[in-house]
Amino acid sequence: MISNFNQPQRQNIIGVLVLFLDTIRHFSRALFPLILVSLIKIKSLDIFILLLILFLILFVFATIAYLKYYNFTFFLDQEKQEFVINEGILTKTKTAIQLQKIQQVNIKQSFIQKLIGVYSLEVDTAGTNNQEISIKAISHLVALDLKSKLLENDALKPIFIDEKSKINRENATESAFVKISFFSLLKIGITSNYIRSFFILLAFLFSAFENLNQIFGEKTIDKRKIDGFIEHSLMVDVIPFFLVLLLSVIIILNLVRIIFRYYNFNITIQNHSLLLSFGLLNTKTTILNPNKVQIVSFSSNYFQKKMNVLEMKIKQATSGEKEEAKVAIEIPGCNNLEKEAILKIVFGKNPVKGIELRPNFRKLGFSIFLTIILPLIFYLMIKNNIKEIEIVNYLVLIYIIFVGLIEYFKYKNNKLFLHKDYIIKQSGAWDIKNEIIATSKIQAITTSQLFWHKNLNIGSVTLHTAGGKIDFQLGNFNKIKAFKNLWLYEIEFSNVNWM
Amino acid sequence: MENFSNETIETANFPKFETVVFTKLHSNYWKVVLINLFVFFIISSVGLCFALFKIEEIQGSKWQFIIGFLVLILLMVTFARIGFNKKGFAFRNHDVLFRQGIIATSTIVIPYNRIQHVALEEGIISRLFGLAKIKVFTAGGSNSDIQIPGIMKEEAENIKQLLMGKIQIQLQ
Repeated sequence: MISNFNQPQRQNIIGVLVLFLDTIRHFSRALFPLILVSLIKIKSLDIFILLLILFLILFVFATIAYLKYYNFTFFLDQEKQEFVINEGILTKTKTAIQLQKIQQVNIKQSFIQKLIGVYSLEVDTAGTNNQEISIKAISHLVALDLKSKLLENDALKPIFIDEKSKINRENATESAFVKISFFSLLKIGITSNYIRSFFILLAFLFSAFENLNQIFGEKTIDKRKIDGFIEHSLMVDVIPFFLVLLLSVIIILNLVRIIFRYYNFNITIQNHSLLLSFGLLNTKTTILNPNKVQIVSFSSNYFQKKMNVLEMKIKQATSGEKEEAKVAIEIPGCNNLEKEAILKIVFGKNPVKGIELRPNFRKLGFSIFLTIILPLIFYLMIKNNIKEIEIVNYLVLIYIIFVGLIEYFKYKNNKLFLHKDYIIKQSGAWDIKNEIIATSKIQAITTSQLFWHKNLNIGSVTLHTAGGKIDFQLGNFNKIKAFKNLWLYEIEFSNVNWM
Repeated sequence: MENFSNETIETANFPKFETVVFTKLHSNYWKVVLINLFVFFIISSVGLCFALFKIEEIQGSKWQFIIGFLVLILLMVTFARIGFNKKGFAFRNHDVLFRQGIIATSTIVIPYNRIQHVALEEGIISRLFGLAKIKVFTAGGSNSDIQIPGIMKEEAENIKQLLMGKIQIQLQ
């Protein structure tokens, strides 16, 4: 009954509830200010009329939800090999996606859906963003079934090659392959993303401050008091305390975010694909097809190296730069062994590090010029016009040392490993990142050289893939050119599919 | 895969992209570039004249502005010429090459089996000279696409046919 998707069919009837709540949420976001204003302004309104209006609005929403549900059908067109969705109440839309264009199928469950016991299914394609399809409410069984039907196209190829895997498929062997423990998540949580969390916190504090000011007026926080407070020598005691507090808040926030997002992270192998599932409240399932992987990167910092954890990111084929961030799949907190196992699945074998290429010292010079010397010149220029404050000079000194160290380590860690089949780029100052691409995934190669670098034999290379690019500046240009020729030969001769 | 062998590869023996002789853009394309620049200068000089007459603060240094503008014109034309001379393309058996850039000269290579589609574009001024622009698209985003301007319309059609043919062969 379930496995037949040849006839147009509707979602789960209980899904009307999900659509209903979704509609409310959708409209309430837009109508919220209006409702608020009308509540404050119209005080004298009869409570009976108010209830009537509320009831009417809910009734309209319910009707919309039902019509949405009624008009939403989906089916698989076996002949044309298309997945077709009809939707819309007044403007009808028909979306057809060729099965072979399907990139990813995600099964998700939001909090509301979890309460009701339905799942949503999202289909990603390599085409434009608008073509994406999402079905809001189906049962888990239907979702899984539909997903395997949609991805059958991909699975067909390996099945024809050997009969064994067919048997495996029928037996539905889902072996847990990597399981990221709570402890690993803890490790990652306390050691990663300091800077990102810091800015999120900063943004939060700013907006909170703004709101406080707006609500209570300027009076709440007496400026003179604060100024006087800071002028006191108390500052010396307060600053370290404040820094420690800030750091611990950042770490806790990050920890909570990571645990909520990635709790119970499981990777299983299914039909030569990787099946990832994770999440504490919203369980998310993603299928990763090794053929479609373009760039694999993993990064770890000093602490993480000591604790044997690293973060992995896998980028699949995308159509535009905007989508890039969304399509990257993150695997937090796997250890070295698990990393190698994943790489083996994705690439077929473990990528080899080839000949090491380092950037010329001019790269360090140029980045120091951009990040330190230029701002310093600017500072010295405006310095005479502003009132001299001693603490600013210290801040400038701290900036120079800090940025100088970062730039130095960035330069020191920047390496490109050239190999016939794999290109590996290492970069980063604190979080050291390794990006791996297979030669067969390259779409185009650009080499470029500044005209005064011709005699120095240094130049840059950019490798474009469908999941982003990798570039390396100011390396030995003869070596780069030699490998460009080699890679072009590999791409043109072997003719391996990149997707 | 029948005669599979895996000997060490000597990188020196591969066909070298850096020794390829690039075809320069059609000389008529230089005229197109000049006309485009000319239109730009007409518009900006009208703007400058207007500013010189209306804004009183800068009227004292009128000549500095005019000389500055003339220097700008000279620089832009010179850079356009160098840029025109640097641009070049080449079609090899298995890939297409395009070279450009004034300060940094870059060479991009796209293998035929990575081309998604090919487009032909004719600008208004280019059409007067019978020129067209070939656009070669890959799946690698806008940075990895090639746009070759200044090719005779007929030749461009031929190139497009050639590329489409190459893509077709790769698909089979």
